[in-house]
Amino acid sequence: MPSRPGFSAQTLAVLAALCPEPSRWRHGYALAKQTGLKSGTLYPILIRLADRGLVEARWQDEPQPGRPRRHLYRLTADGLASATAALSSVAGPARRAEAQSRSGRRVAAPGAP
Amino acid sequence: MTRLSRGCAAAGRAAARLLPAERREWAEALWAEAHQVPPGLPRLAWRAGGLRLIAREATMARRLASALLFAGAAALAARAAWPGPPASATTTAARVDVIIIVLLLAVLPLLVHRLRGSATRGRLARFLRTGSYAAILALTAAKASVERFAGYPAPAHRPQPPASWLVRPAGTRAPGGGFAGWVLAAQEGLFRPTGGHVPSGAAPGPPPAVHYWTGEILFVLVIACYVAVILAVTARRSSVAPATLAIGTGAGVGLGVVMYAVAPLGLAKHATNPWLPGSAADPLVVLAWVALLGGPLAAGLLAARHHRRLHGAMSPGAGWIRQSTVAGLLTTLVGALLVTSAGTGTIALMPRASWLMHWLYPGQHLAAAAAHGHELAASGAAAGYLVLLLAFPVIGLGAGAWGGISAAEVPGGPGPGGGPPGPGPSPDPPDGGRSAEAGGDADRLLLGVLDLEEDRTRDLVGANGH
Repeated sequence: MPSRPGFSAQTLAVLAALCPEPSRWRHGYALAKQTGLKSGTLYPILIRLADRGLVEARWQDEPQPGRPRRHLYRLTADGLASATAALSSVAGPARRAEAQSRSGRRVAAPGAP
Repeated sequence: MTRLSRGCAAAGRAAARLLPAERREWAEALWAEAHQVPPGLPRLAWRAGGLRLIAREATMARRLASALLFAGAAALAARAAWPGPPASATTTAARVDVIIIVLLLAVLPLLVHRLRGSATRGRLARFLRTGSYAAILALTAAKASVERFAGYPAPAHRPQPPASWLVRPAGTRAPGGGFAGWVLAAQEGLFRPTGGHVPSGAAPGPPPAVHYWTGEILFVLVIACYVAVILAVTARRSSVAPATLAIGTGAGVGLGVVMYAVAPLGLAKHATNPWLPGSAADPLVVLAWVALLGGPLAAGLLAARHHRRLHGAMSPGAGWIRQSTVAGLLTTLVGALLVTSAGTGTIALMPRASWLMHWLYPGQHLAAAAAHGHELAASGAAAGYLVLLLAFPVIGLGAGAWGGISAAEVPGGPGPGGGPPGPGPSPDPPDGGRSAEAGGDADRLLLGVLDLEEDRTRDLVGANGH
């Protein structure tokens, strides 16, 4: 599966959030918290990724009592390959930009230790 | 806040039903996830995001716009058809008409959706559906206006013309010959026995209620058939090829324009061609006959040949014939709908628009009595359009099928394929062209991505970092 260039920063954030544990199913709210994206942005991204076959989705088997079933997401094999390629391709330029930014003015990246 | 959040949830659940099935579960997933979000503002924001998700889906926007457009057009049609003397058969019939037609237009898509799948998203299919709906609503309103005018005597301030004017205005020939003969006979016998077009010496007056209702029931049935056919051929599971749809629609528009040029004021010849008086209209009448008989035949032939070119000379003949029959039928459906709505609309506007009288009767200074006579004559002749609505599809079916059979009998027709290959599929736009909600936070996100990417690289790929 060739890498797909042109992912937005938000999509890359979602891919990066799903990448560390590609076999683990994640909930939408957890992804939203991790990426800082609002639901109105996160879900369209998940929809496009699922349409491209990069993300698979399923419904929770056993919902919590009194709560509706939740939707779960994880990367597919193609998704993992694309995410790896896309994240690698942005790593260089973004790293340089980060270095420049840090040398000019100190900007703390959210979520960074 | 809780009430607001609940209201937002209810609105979202209702709106989600408008989404196509493949998108609906995503909206449901978002609503389900809202239970995990802390109550108060965060949950409200989460649900508002859900509403945004639904609104962002293009199909949703289009459906909403279509629904609003339809509601507006239906309201306009109802407003035009509603007024009239209370407790009269004409008024009641017009009101029942508009209610039933609007219900038909609203409900039939749901039925067709169950049987033939959702509507095709192509531009041509959309044009055909929207155009048909607009024409039918316009026709309903115009028909009510014409029937109100034709069914009652002239208002007191306008002199009643002599009855002989209605039958044979000066300078025109007697009705009954050629194109209009059978139509006039049918309309007078079936639709409007004592309506606007009255026998010599009789005064116009309201026809018996039973005749109105017979005509109205027939009209509603015919319109239901038109809508059902147009929705069925533009449904996703329809076997009608896009080329067939294009050929039928194009030929139908052509047929409708020619027919309207021939009969802008109904099908009775004395009221048909005031703008082309006397023998000047004859070539146009011949052209109309050619278009009526030759249009669906040519459309059927073209559709069958196109189908054969695509699927090869060995494809079953039934496929050609099906395509050609539908092309012929569509030609006459579209043509009949176009000329009927435009013609009835013209007649309905006659008493209101003076510019229309100048266009229809060029170079004539019409006295009020003469103008009223023309209006009444046209109103009486308008019923002939209903006959046309019935007869055209039958002609189209026959001519279209004939075209298919003719194409099937042509030996050694064009083989499969042919022509250069088309362009390949266009690549997907990145991220569906979605804009960033967090807009100015892109850099922050990228830096966050970097951190995550480093962890991922260490854990999964085993690289030594960047």
